[in-house]
Amino acid sequence: MSAIEFIFAPLVLALVLSLVTRGNNSLSKYISLILFAFMLSFSINLFSQLPSKGYLDLGSFLAVKKFDFILTLQVDQLSVVMLVLTSSLLILVALSSWSMKNQAMYFNLLIAFSGAIFGVFMSTNFLWFFIFWELTLVPMYFLVGIWGAERRVYAAVKFFLYTHVASMFIILAFFLIHKESGTFDMTLVKESLLLSPVLIWWLLFIGFAVKLPIFPFHTWLPDAHVQAPAPISVLLAGVLLKMGAYAMIRMVILLLPETSQQYAWIILALGLITLFYSGFMAIYETHLKKMVAYSSISHMGLVVIAISTMSYAGLSAAVYEMLGHAFIIAPLFLIAGFLHHKTGSWQMQDMGGIMQKAPYISAIFVLAGLGALGLPGTMGFVGELSILISAIKADGVWMAVVALGSMVGAGYIIWMFRRVVYGEMSEIVQKTKFSMNPMEFLSLIIFAIAIVLFGLFPNILFDIINPIFVQYTFLGGAL
Amino acid sequence: MQNLALTLLLLPMFGAVIAFILGKINSKLAFWIAEIIGLALFLITLKLFMGFNEPIDIPMTWFTLGNFTIPFGIYIDELSLVMLLIATGLGFLDIHFAHDYMKKDPSQARYYAKVLFFIGGMILLVSAKDMISLFTGWEFMGLASYLLISFWHESKEPADAGMSAFLFTRFGDIFLFGAIGLLFYTSGSLDLVNLNTMATSGMIDKDMIYIISIFIFIAAIGKSGQFPLFPWLMRAMEGPTTVSALIHGATMVNSGIYIVARLFDFYVAGEALIIVAVFGAISAFIGATSALVQNELKKVLAYSTMSHLSLAFIGLGAGSLAAGMSHLVNHAVFKALLFLSAGAIIMSASHVKDLWRFGGFSKKMIGVAIFMGLGALSLSGIPPFSGFYSKDAIIATTLLNPQTNGLISTLTIIAGVLSVAYISRVWFLTFAGESRDKELFEKVKTPSFFWITLPLAIMAITTLTLGFFQDDIAKLVSGKVYEEPHVEYVLVSLLSAIVFVAFIIYMYYVKRLDITKKVASQPLMKAIHKVLFNGYYVEFFIHYFSREVVVGAGAKTINWIDTNLVDASVNGVKTLTQKIYRLFGKTHSGYAGDNSGAMIIGLLILLVILISGGAM
Repeated sequence: MSAIEFIFAPLVLALVLSLVTRGNNSLSKYISLILFAFMLSFSINLFSQLPSKGYLDLGSFLAVKKFDFILTLQVDQLSVVMLVLTSSLLILVALSSWSMKNQAMYFNLLIAFSGAIFGVFMSTNFLWFFIFWELTLVPMYFLVGIWGAERRVYAAVKFFLYTHVASMFIILAFFLIHKESGTFDMTLVKESLLLSPVLIWWLLFIGFAVKLPIFPFHTWLPDAHVQAPAPISVLLAGVLLKMGAYAMIRMVILLLPETSQQYAWIILALGLITLFYSGFMAIYETHLKKMVAYSSISHMGLVVIAISTMSYAGLSAAVYEMLGHAFIIAPLFLIAGFLHHKTGSWQMQDMGGIMQKAPYISAIFVLAGLGALGLPGTMGFVGELSILISAIKADGVWMAVVALGSMVGAGYIIWMFRRVVYGEMSEIVQKTKFSMNPMEFLSLIIFAIAIVLFGLFPNILFDIINPIFVQYTFLGGAL
Repeated sequence: MQNLALTLLLLPMFGAVIAFILGKINSKLAFWIAEIIGLALFLITLKLFMGFNEPIDIPMTWFTLGNFTIPFGIYIDELSLVMLLIATGLGFLDIHFAHDYMKKDPSQARYYAKVLFFIGGMILLVSAKDMISLFTGWEFMGLASYLLISFWHESKEPADAGMSAFLFTRFGDIFLFGAIGLLFYTSGSLDLVNLNTMATSGMIDKDMIYIISIFIFIAAIGKSGQFPLFPWLMRAMEGPTTVSALIHGATMVNSGIYIVARLFDFYVAGEALIIVAVFGAISAFIGATSALVQNELKKVLAYSTMSHLSLAFIGLGAGSLAAGMSHLVNHAVFKALLFLSAGAIIMSASHVKDLWRFGGFSKKMIGVAIFMGLGALSLSGIPPFSGFYSKDAIIATTLLNPQTNGLISTLTIIAGVLSVAYISRVWFLTFAGESRDKELFEKVKTPSFFWITLPLAIMAITTLTLGFFQDDIAKLVSGKVYEEPHVEYVLVSLLSAIVFVAFIIYMYYVKRLDITKKVASQPLMKAIHKVLFNGYYVEFFIHYFSREVVVGAGAKTINWIDTNLVDASVNGVKTLTQKIYRLFGKTHSGYAGDNSGAMIIGLLILLVILISGGAM
C-alpha cells in the first residue's frame, strides 16, 4: 500500500464498516487491529527509506493547481517518529478497548481517526494539513460524546468548540502565509519571504497552544479527559496533544526561527506556568482521573519548556518527553478508568488498599506513577533530565527551578498512591471484584515494559530522535 | 576485575526478579535465593577488596542528547570498597536474620525481592563514577526504602510512613537533581573525581561551587535524616525491623555522608564545610536529646542514628574526612547490631515495641543481651570498641578547628555523652531488673541461635575488632596516611563522664523507679519531655506548612483562579456566542454533532470535485 492509501483507505473502510456492522459486532475490532499493525509496519518501513536530510517525497495527489491545493505527502524523521508513535499507540488503544460496549461503531470511529491522523503527519500542504487536523476532531467528538461518562456531551462540545476556535487562528495564519509567500507548501516557505512573520507567529502559536495545551488555554482538556472513556483519554494525551507539539515544533520553531527566538521567553514563561500551575491543580484534585489529566498537562509544560530552548538538545529532549509522556500517562489513564468502572467512583477517598485486591494492576499503576514523577529507570527520568540539562544550558542557572517540578509531581503522585493503592481497604473496594479483560491487561504490560525499556536504554530512541534536528543549523548547539 | 564489578552491579537486580518469581511458587525459595546472592555479593566484594591495586574505572555512555553526552560510569576505589563491604556484609547478615524474623509473613517473595533491589541500589550508589549513576542509585534506594517501609501497606501507619519517607527524601533529591543540571552547565563534567580536581584547581566559579555544594548537602540532609528533614526516619520504624536495621540504620542513611565525602575537595574549595558542621551539630543535639525520652525501642535507635550520623557530618564539616568516614563505618556496624538486637527482642516479645513493658529479658535471651550490650558499649564510645576511636577523633577535630571550636564542639560533646545515657537506658529497661509486664514476659520466647544470635555475634565481634584497625580504615577512606588528632584531656574527661552517666541511668531507671515517677510529674519536666518526645515539633511544623500553606493556600488559590477566572472567561465567551447564535439560530441546530456531520458531507463533496478536477 502506498502512503495515500493509508490516509484514505481507513476513512473509506470506516464508512463501509459502519454500513455492515452494528452493535457489538466484533468484526471492526479485528480489522482495526490488523489495519493498525499494517500502519505500524508501514511507518517503520519508512525509516529505512528516509534521506539523512530533508524530506522523503511520497507523491502529490488531488491537485487543483490554480488554488495551490495539492495533497503533497512528504515525511522527514520527525513525522515518521510521530507516525510510529501514533500507530503503536493505536494498537495498544485497540487492545485496551477490547471489551468496549457497542464496539462496532467505536472501532469504526477509531479506524477513521487513524486515517485522519496519518494525514496530519504526512501532508506538507498547509490546506490539507488543516483539513486532516480538523478531521481528527470528528471521530474524537463522537468517541467522547457517545462512550463518555455522565457529562460527556458538555465535555465533547467544549472540546470541539475550543479546538475549533483555535483552528480559526491556524487557518488565518495559513492564508496569510499563502498571501505573502505564494505557496501552501510548508517545505518551500521561508521566514525571510514573509512580510508579517510576527502576526503569523502569534496566530499559529495561539492555535497550537490550545491543542498542546498551554496555560491559559488548557481548561478543555481536564473536562474532555474526565468524560472520555479511558482508551480515548490515552489517544487524547498520547496523540492529540502530540499533534499540537508536533505542529508547534514544525510550524512555529522550525518555520519561523527568528520570530520564535524573539518570543522564546514567552514560550518559556508559559511552559513554566503550565508545569507548576497544573502541578498544583493536581495536588488539590480529589478526582482521580482529573488529577491524572492535570499531571498530563504538567508534563506537556515540560515539553513546552524544552521547545522554548530552541536548541538541538532541547528539541530532541522535547521529542523524547513527548514519547515518554505518551507511554507513562497511558497506563495511568487506563487504570484510573478501570478503577472507576469497577468501583463506580472517581473520588480517591472512596478507594484505598487496591494493592490488596489487584496487586499486579496496582504494581503497573505504581510503576507508571513513578515514571510520572521522574524516577531513574523510567522514561520520565530521562525526559526530565534531558529537559533540565538543555534548559539550563540554554537559559542559564535559574532554570534549575525545573527540578522543583518533579517535587510537585512527587507530591501528587505519592499522595495519590497513598489514597488509592495503599492503606486500608475502603468499603467500596472490599465489595468490588477487580478482574480485567486479558487484552486490556496485555496493553498495560506493554506500556509498562516500554516505560522501563526505553527508560533504561534511552539510546534506542535517541538514535532515532537526534538525527531529526541535525539539519537545522540555526538551532543553538546544532552541529 | 571489571567483569567482577559489573557482576556485582547486575546480580542483585536479576536476583530480585528471580527471587520474586520463584518466591511466588514457594516462599522458602525466595529466602534461599536472597541468602545465596547476598553471600555471593559479599564474597565478590571481598575478592575485589583483597585484589585491589588500582581503582576500577569503567566509563560508559548512557545516551546522547543532541550534542550532549550523558555518562553512566562505574568507579570503584578504596572508599567505594569500604562502603561496598558494609552494604553487602550487613546486607547478607540482615537477610540471614530475616529468615526467622519474616518467617510467618505471607509475602516473603516481595520482601526479599525488594531487599535485593535495595542492595543493588546501594552498590550502584557507591560504585558511581558520575552524578548520573550516583543519582540513579540514590533514587533506587529511595524507592526501595519507600516500598519496604510501607511493606505492610494494608494498615494505615506503614502506608503513611512510606509516603512521609518518600516525600521528605524527595525534597532533598530534587536539589541533587538540580545540582546535576548546574554542574553540567558550570563545569561540563559530571565525573565525581574530575569535579574534585576541577574545584581545587579553580576551574569552576567559586560561588557556583558554594551553591552546588549546598544543593547537594540538602539532598544529603534528606537522605541521612538530619535537621530539618529527619521526621521521616522516625516514622520509617513502622517497617520491618530487619529493614530498619539495614536501610535506616546501617546503609542508606549513610549515603548523605558518603556523597559529601566523595566530593570532599569540592566542599573544601567551596568553603561549604562549615554549613555541614552547623547542621550536623544541631541534628546531633536534637537526636541525642530526643532519643532520651522515647518509649519505643526502635524510635530511640532512630534518633540515635540521626545523632550519630550527625557526628560523622560534624567530623567532615570540621575538616577531617578520615574522622567522619571512620565514624560512618563504625556506626554502620554497631547500629546494625543494635537494630537487629532490637529486632530479636521485638520478635520474641510478640511484636511489642514499648520499652516500659519490657524488663528482665536477660533471663530469656542472654545471648542477645550480651551482644546488644557490646553494641551499646561501642556506641557509647568505650575503648577498645571501634565507636570510641572515631567519636574521640571527631571531638578532637572540632576542638582543634578554630571555626568549630565553641558552640559546635560543645554540642558534639553533649551529643557524645548523651548517647551513653539513652543507650544504657534502653539496655537497662529491656534486660535488667524485673519484668514490668508479667503477661508479656511469660510469652517471650528464646530466639534461635543460628538464625538470630549468630549474626549478632558476628557483628559484635566485628565492632570490637574494627577498633584495632582504625588507622587502616582511616587510610582507606581518606586515601592518606592518617594521624588521629588527640586532645589530651578529652579522653579522661569523656570516660569519666560516660561512667558517671551510665551509673545515673542505672540508678534512675532500675533501682529507684519511684524517683523517676516523681521527677516526671513535675510540670517543667513534663513540658521538656513533650518537646523532646515530639522531636522538637519539627514534623508538626513541616506538616502544618505543607498542609496549610502549600496545599491549603497555594493549591487552593490556583484552583480558585482556574475555576473562577480562566474557565469562567471561556464560559463567558460561550455565553456571548450563544447570544449571537440565537440571533441567527433559526437555520442552525446548535449541536456540534450536526455541524460536524455537515462538515463531513461538505468535505466529501469537495473531495469528489477535486478528484474529478485533478484528473483533468
